[in-house]
Amino acid sequence: MNEIAIMLLAPIIAGVLAWLLDIKRVREIVGVIGAAVPLIYIVQTYQSVFNGGTINLDVPVGGFTLSFALYNLTWFFAAIAALLGFTMALGMASTSKDGYEWLFALMSMTGVLGVFMAREFVSFFLFWELMTFASFMMVLKYNRSASLKYFILSVIGAYAMLIAIGILYAKTGSFEFSTIQQFMYQDATKTALGVKGAFGKSETILLYLLFLTAFGVKAGAFPLHVWAPDAYSETNQSYTSFFSGVLSKAGVYGFVLLYSMMGIKLFYTLGTFGGHSLFAYTIAWIGALTVVIASFLAVLQEDIRKLFAYSSVGQVGYVLLGIGVGTQLGFEGALFHALSHAIFKGLFWLVVAALILQTGKTEFKDFGGLAKKMPITFAFGLIAVLSLAGIPPLAGFASKWILYEAAISAKMPLVAGAIFLGSGLAFAYVVRFLYAVWFGQMPSDLRNVKEAPLPLLLGMALLGMLNLVFGIAPGLVTKFLNTIFGHEVITGDIYTINTGVGNYNALMVAICLVAGIVIAGVLFLYGAKTRKVEVNDTYQSGNPVTQDFNLSIRVHFYKPLEEALSFWLRISFDKLYTIIAKWVEDFAEVLKNAVYNGNVQSYAWYLGIILLILALWGW
Amino acid sequence: MENNEIKYELKEFKLFEPLFKWARKKSLWIVAFCTGCGGIEMPPLATARYDFERFGIMPNPAPRMADLFLITGYVTPKTLKRIIITYEMMQDPKYVLIHGSCPINGGVYWDSYNVVKQLDKYIPVDVAIAGCMPRPESVMEGILTIIRKIEEGTADGWKRYKENYEYYRKNQDELFGEGWREKDAKRWLAWL
Amino acid sequence: MMNMIIQAVLILIYATFMGFIFMGIERKTMARIQRRIGPPLYQPLLDTLKLLGKRESITHGFIYDFGPIFALGASILALMFLPLTQNFQLFSSSGDLIVVAYLLEVPMLGIMLGAMSSGNPYSGVGVQRGLLTMVAMQLPYGLALIALVEHYGTFSLQEIVKAQQIAGWSILVPALLLAMIVFDIVFQALLGLEPFDITTAPAEISMGPMVEYGGKQAALLFTQHAVQLFAETAFFVILFLGGANNLLELLIKQIAVLFIAIFIASIYPRFTIDQAAKFLWKWPTIMGIIAALLAVL
Repeated sequence: MNEIAIMLLAPIIAGVLAWLLDIKRVREIVGVIGAAVPLIYIVQTYQSVFNGGTINLDVPVGGFTLSFALYNLTWFFAAIAALLGFTMALGMASTSKDGYEWLFALMSMTGVLGVFMAREFVSFFLFWELMTFASFMMVLKYNRSASLKYFILSVIGAYAMLIAIGILYAKTGSFEFSTIQQFMYQDATKTALGVKGAFGKSETILLYLLFLTAFGVKAGAFPLHVWAPDAYSETNQSYTSFFSGVLSKAGVYGFVLLYSMMGIKLFYTLGTFGGHSLFAYTIAWIGALTVVIASFLAVLQEDIRKLFAYSSVGQVGYVLLGIGVGTQLGFEGALFHALSHAIFKGLFWLVVAALILQTGKTEFKDFGGLAKKMPITFAFGLIAVLSLAGIPPLAGFASKWILYEAAISAKMPLVAGAIFLGSGLAFAYVVRFLYAVWFGQMPSDLRNVKEAPLPLLLGMALLGMLNLVFGIAPGLVTKFLNTIFGHEVITGDIYTINTGVGNYNALMVAICLVAGIVIAGVLFLYGAKTRKVEVNDTYQSGNPVTQDFNLSIRVHFYKPLEEALSFWLRISFDKLYTIIAKWVEDFAEVLKNAVYNGNVQSYAWYLGIILLILALWGW
Repeated sequence: MENNEIKYELKEFKLFEPLFKWARKKSLWIVAFCTGCGGIEMPPLATARYDFERFGIMPNPAPRMADLFLITGYVTPKTLKRIIITYEMMQDPKYVLIHGSCPINGGVYWDSYNVVKQLDKYIPVDVAIAGCMPRPESVMEGILTIIRKIEEGTADGWKRYKENYEYYRKNQDELFGEGWREKDAKRWLAWL
Repeated sequence: MMNMIIQAVLILIYATFMGFIFMGIERKTMARIQRRIGPPLYQPLLDTLKLLGKRESITHGFIYDFGPIFALGASILALMFLPLTQNFQLFSSSGDLIVVAYLLEVPMLGIMLGAMSSGNPYSGVGVQRGLLTMVAMQLPYGLALIALVEHYGTFSLQEIVKAQQIAGWSILVPALLLAMIVFDIVFQALLGLEPFDITTAPAEISMGPMVEYGGKQAALLFTQHAVQLFAETAFFVILFLGGANNLLELLIKQIAVLFIAIFIASIYPRFTIDQAAKFLWKWPTIMGIIAALLAVL
């Protein structure tokens, strides 16, 4: 059978099977196998896709033809989805509670694979809705108001996309991406020459705004990100590694499609602003604002899941920024960052899942001193921390480096300044996570915590190893991404990446770092032998200290920042949306009381008025 | 501090030891802990007239990095508890320099119920400077004496503490009662 | 290859020694400004030797020991990527400006890791203040570096030095003069001098993150500070003052930069953290934005 068909059907069949046979061990094994199948096929097709091959699948269904294709761009996104799906399944083997969760988690995996591989709008929309529905059901089980917020915003985005697809079909007569791309290109040349094309200026802007809303909601761009913190926190944490790692990339993929289909038309219609095309500059600024605002909010959180949720929103802002820069280098940086964000954020969420599974607590004030009890989880958490903060030999740094080069070479200095600020803030909240959870004093009810179970550790090991590999050899990823553009945007061999204006040799950095640590270690070993003291043998200006004293700062760690930003924190889009929702509800209440008021006489009046109107019109 | 867990060696690193001895005497760091009425005599030493920084001496708030402890006046039991805790947090080799007659034999408070009369029973002392607050010139003389003793290798208060730990511990417990650290910590817990 | 390794080791020993001399210059200059005599110039070297010669050492766990080792390793790494003079280019063809700018901030992570594992509330407060200082200074720091890169059009430090040899020092260009003023203000925070030394704040929180460190770990931290001082002043010289042709010229320019920093530090008291954040996000950021926009035009 066709590879694409197997890749799409395997997860959902495995999910249904796992839900039907609700036996504990069996459903885990079925689920993991179902999630491993796409990964196996992805690895198998790497060589042929790298050399430029394509795999197609066309399914005629009731008048429409659903077509899928697997070539280098879609293979890249599908690889991210398959990899994270497999580690999610490994994580859920330890943390899932019943078959319901397996069903919807694997259903969303099918949905997102279908979105990435679709080649025309019918299948795109179908699988988009499948993915949204499945993830909504995962959140619904845990918390109703968070799932409601997610659902309403997703539905608004999906209807915007439906209207846009309708407009496109009416004007171009086809759903296929390639046909629409050709049509838009011809239309763009007509506009450039001054002849009136099929799409007027206001229609193009309307299409642009509709698509921006649709994909912005999914990716979590700035004014539409309010669903993300609650939805990412209130669900099974192993599933969140898939949710925030891959489903937000569906929004990113939508932006890439927007560029490839409508980019030239938008460029000619909307013009330029200060040397950059206006539509791309808007996307870049939306990305920059998302990075700054989400990172600032992440620093001030008190709950582990919310901190990482805001951090996910911020990192996807980096990807949008890379796309908005508009040059090929920017695209490569954005796609690389999509991969490395998926890898390190997936690892983070698995670590959080292990913590919550073993201790049952979620706020920072209940944790402390777990580095001795869960050392392997701590080691992987440390790798994820170094990658998120952008420390050189790891994967997060390579992608951020390309983004810097892209933004500065394209002469967008303020946007690049936002990247700097975002990186500093990332450092801050990640150190807060380390301090509150792993170091310091252990509270008395955490004395019996054990190491995380084996499947979770396997998933974490896979992602951690990939972090290291793509950090030391970033050329592996850039070589693949170069094939998307057809020529060498980033040159260099496996260990070095060279963008024409700058050069980064990851292997040399790793070797020198190890050499530096060895030199320091030799100096250290020379000194006197050390003796271990307990954690409460610390200097408190001479006062005696026992274990009952609270020696770590776990609450309001960044209070001075809150005070410095007190003016800006009063503005909140979440409250704005809640206020709008309340107005709509009140308006509906008024209508209900005025119109449907249960009074038989007013119903009789309505009937009379309607009959009068019909009689006057003469049916 | 349980003395029986320490496995320290008196092994002399023959190759670098003269270098370390020279470094130790030229860079003494004082624990910034001002007791009693002599606390006011430290700033004149640090400011422009009698500048002790030219000898390499620097006040340092953290006892783990410091090696000279100045006890500058009378010592009450409450202060003595803090002094013992801080002294045990310092790392070898460490030296103690006492100012004034109160720590030597009680001074003007020789018949008070609340002043420790002979500090040498609780903490080993290297150099004592007599006076009822000695002037800065005397304190400089005391510091130079410590530097000379380090050179000669006779500043061994820390060795005496390690070897005669039972004696010092017995005196401390006699004054404060057994288990005084936990009891004192519990008293301060209510304030937090 | 062998040649490069020998060069690297020689530069490392030279940089450590000169870093200690710079710390001594700092103390001596402050003392002279206050009309005292001050310690001899090689005093920090004696301090480090004394700390290394302590007879016993305590530890609070593995990360407590590993933090200073990692910090020193990262400082050495940052030093290796700077093109110091014509003859000592070291590994600077393998990394560029962004890599070095990041590597100069990595040691802080190592120190923070070690400080956090020591379980002292003073170090917790020190970590918080250190991180917020870093957050506050990232925006002007980034804008100054971006203005520089926009003007020269290349990220490679070797190219920037070569361009300055031909066209004159960076500060002769008005946009880059503004960028240098912004970088100089941020430089005080990088070096840990007043008015931005809230991290250490000796009289307030007992040396902040380093309160539990003694013995050989403290010696490692001092060595790290020496190497970091050398690397940061060399970075300033390479970016704004035209690089150097030989080690003597580099030394003179570094000491000039150091003197400006010490003079500013001896006048000002300390900012508190929210005052520092508000200050750094107002005037230096506005000047940085103006510099970046001027460099693009």
